[in-house]
Amino acid sequence: MSFTTPYFTLPKFTYLKPKKLEDALSLLRQYRGKAKIMAGGIMLINLMKERKISPEYVIDIKGIEELKKISKTENGIKIGSAVTAIELQSYQIIRDNLPALAKAASYMGDRTLQHTVTIGGNISVGMPSTDGLPALMSMDSLLTIKSLDGERTIPASELVIGFGRTSLKDDEMITEIVVPYSRGFKGTYLKLINASEVAIATVAVSVLLKEKKLTVVIGAIAPRPYYFDHKSLQWNWEASLSENIKNASEIIGSSVKPMSDAVAGSEYRKEVSKVLAARALKEVFGGA
Amino acid sequence: MKTISLKVNGIAKEITIEDNELLLNVLREKLGITSVKAACWRGECGLCTVLLDGIPVKSCMTLAVEADGKEVITAEGLYFDEKAKKLMESFVKHGAMQCGFCTPAFVVTSHYVLTKNPEIDGEELKKELNGVICRCGTYYQIYEAVKDAEKYYKKETKS
Ligand SMILES: Cc1cc2nc3c(=O)[nH]c(=O)nc-3n(C[C@H](O)[C@H](O)[C@H](O)COP(=O)(O)OP(=O)(O)OC[C@H]3O[C@@H](n4cnc5c(N)ncnc54)[C@H](O)[C@@H]3O)c2cc1C
Ligand code: FES
Ligand code: FES
Repeated sequence: MSFTTPYFTLPKFTYLKPKKLEDALSLLRQYRGKAKIMAGGIMLINLMKERKISPEYVIDIKGIEELKKISKTENGIKIGSAVTAIELQSYQIIRDNLPALAKAASYMGDRTLQHTVTIGGNISVGMPSTDGLPALMSMDSLLTIKSLDGERTIPASELVIGFGRTSLKDDEMITEIVVPYSRGFKGTYLKLINASEVAIATVAVSVLLKEKKLTVVIGAIAPRPYYFDHKSLQWNWEASLSENIKNASEIIGSSVKPMSDAVAGSEYRKEVSKVLAARALKEVFGGA
Repeated sequence: MKTISLKVNGIAKEITIEDNELLLNVLREKLGITSVKAACWRGECGLCTVLLDGIPVKSCMTLAVEADGKEVITAEGLYFDEKAKKLMESFVKHGAMQCGFCTPAFVVTSHYVLTKNPEIDGEELKKELNGVICRCGTYYQIYEAVKDAEKYYKKETKS
């Protein structure tokens, strides 16, 4: 945070608002490297104010209807990348099937910002403080990425590659998020926040009990969330829950390398990660 | 330069703007709407909140061009809304301000909240209003004022 930066103005750019996805993709190709996608714009506008980025073209995708849809299919739940944080909390499909995602959305900035923040923008930010990615990763979500050349799918865990950096090419865009399950699974999302409302650690857990699958994702402690599953946690489905939880939180504690910053130190974040993971596991397995 | 058309507090306007202008600056400097305040300019304080097509947005985080074809409502415009006027009177009655700098933003946001749900529970209300900061700490009185104004927003009540 800097108190000397002028936040009053934005650098010059040309604003474009395509109504069709193909038009957005053509513009991204045409102005490759010179354009930035604007979804909610909450991160983009702040980065421009700070002069950290100055794109020549800003392509607003909020006018593209197909990016705002949510649907339930046999293959899971599909969420358009421009669906807002408020919508994630209010749509019945999400509340009923993906409560952990609805809860994560309730942390995406304050209530007013949540009308504007989109899920696609939130996960593309690449900052430790964003809540969408850990929640989606815990549910093994897939991202549909499009460019003029066609479509590819990547696991959500492969999106962020470093601080503020994603694996997307500069003419690509996330169009849809696919959560591959819609039945038979449980999830939760816990977060420890300090007094200034900055996250110290977050934990997203999802469990597919029917298929004996467990994932635990620890976020907010590094730009890229940490992903664990029943294998890496050496989960023993025959053993008692308390034994498993104790073991799993030890493994988590010895694997994560949290950052230290003004909000919390690395060691503290590590302890919080263990405690939150244990609580989340207890919650989804229904007490210990 | 480009010309956008929008409605501001019920009045149709055409204004010439640059693509990189913030809605906040256009409202305050080009249209003279000074109930829209600013403190942080980075999305944190909420003092710049306005209704864009009825939804609260932070105008320091919104481009003016995004308002093209839309309607902007600020505290000035709400003065002509019967219910919102009662809401404002409730703020006065409950002393829901000290310096008053945050009042327009709280009025605009709580007008949205009550319009959507005039029977909101106390904890929900706090959450709905968490996008605006009152540096003087008059939150308690603000919640009281909004709760007290619920009656004007309920359908059966004639406002
Ligand atoms: C004061 C404050 C506090 C906040 N606290 C939190 C918090 O605690 N937790 C949290 O999760 N969030 C928080 N946020 C919001 C978060 O920081 C981001 O600003 C926000 O989620 C970005 O979403 P957006 O839709 O506005 O993205 P944008 O700003 O529009 O875009 C962000 C980036 O992603 C790119 N992008 C956008 N959409 C796509 C797409 N479909 N495909 C490819 N690239 C794309 C853009 O080019 C840009 O680089 C906070 C914001 C503020 C201002
Ligand atoms: S001026 Fe603080 S949120 Fe806009
Ligand atoms: S009354 Fe002073 S900021 Fe709220």
